[in-house]
Amino acid sequence: MKIKDAEIITLMQNPRTREKGVRALMDAYQSRLYWHIRRIIVDGDLAQDTLQETFIKAYQNFHQFKNDSQLYTWLYRIATNEALQQVNKLKKMQKTDEDPEYYMQNLVADNVSSDAEEIQTLLQNAIQSLPEKQKLVFMMRYYDDLPYEEISKIVDMSVGTLKTNYHYAKQKIEEYIKENYEK
Amino acid sequence: MKEFDIEKLERKNIYKVPDNLFENIQEKVMNDVKATKKAPIFKLNWAYAVAASLALIFGVTFVFNQSNDSAKDAGNSGAKYVADTQAPKSESEIAYETLKSDLTSVEKNNQTVVNQNSRSLVSQEIETKETATPKTVKPVSKKTETQMNEYLDSFSNSEISELASNSTQDVYLDLYN
Repeated sequence: MKIKDAEIITLMQNPRTREKGVRALMDAYQSRLYWHIRRIIVDGDLAQDTLQETFIKAYQNFHQFKNDSQLYTWLYRIATNEALQQVNKLKKMQKTDEDPEYYMQNLVADNVSSDAEEIQTLLQNAIQSLPEKQKLVFMMRYYDDLPYEEISKIVDMSVGTLKTNYHYAKQKIEEYIKENYEK
Repeated sequence: MKEFDIEKLERKNIYKVPDNLFENIQEKVMNDVKATKKAPIFKLNWAYAVAASLALIFGVTFVFNQSNDSAKDAGNSGAKYVADTQAPKSESEIAYETLKSDLTSVEKNNQTVVNQNSRSLVSQEIETKETATPKTVKPVSKKTETQMNEYLDSFSNSEISELASNSTQDVYLDLYN
């Protein structure tokens, strides 16, 4: 992965090969970034638009990328910021009397595939019930298996705080599933 | 459910995904990237605009002031030149100039007298009239003559010959002597 990242960076830094570089960048990270965004936003169309915007911003602002951090850390940071902006827009657009947690769980119900297991759907609902920071930390650690040090760079939080947040998030999710699982 | 460990649960993506999702995303991104490349948008950066304006103002002021200063300097240098020309001369320079002027005056006087003499060959009356008029012919006083002799003595033969070579040759000089 590191050699591939180095190739992508070289292609992106040269104006003549930048287009080739952005293609390589998308091939390497589109799936991971899409699912990261999708778990935050839930809505499919909005997640697609957000991923496009993430790549365009990465292309336009690649001069700001510093080699002292991992390429995927930088991309995750852009994607996370874009996704949170979209979620905030959605929350502003929703009715004032509607509970944001309830709104997100309805979105989950609308977007899960028909063959999804109940426990998996419950897990997604449980994630949407978490506070924003705990949600982000849990998703990046649980699904993407990112090291705490890298998550720290993405969300600007200390490693200790991240570990605490992940511990509480995991506890809340397990309790939520225990309470709501019918089988 | 009594016991549940989330770590034992399989990590799955359960959301519906449209067909050709990533192909569509790539196509849209590339279209956007190419469009941006073809038609670059120049955003006005106010900080740079203000900085450029200030630089222009200071630049113009600097050039204007410099041209004024150079004009003043030219005036001063003229005055300095005048002052330099009026600087006191050394004793040897004064002596040289005095000698030179004396020689020139003698030469002029002699020339005048010679001219008069040449004319006197034709008419003696005219000669007496001309020599009698002190305005046109100024006889060299003894004091001046001695001074001139002193100055001449202070010069070496080579310097005198150089002075002689610089002066114009008077064909009537021999006649006068």
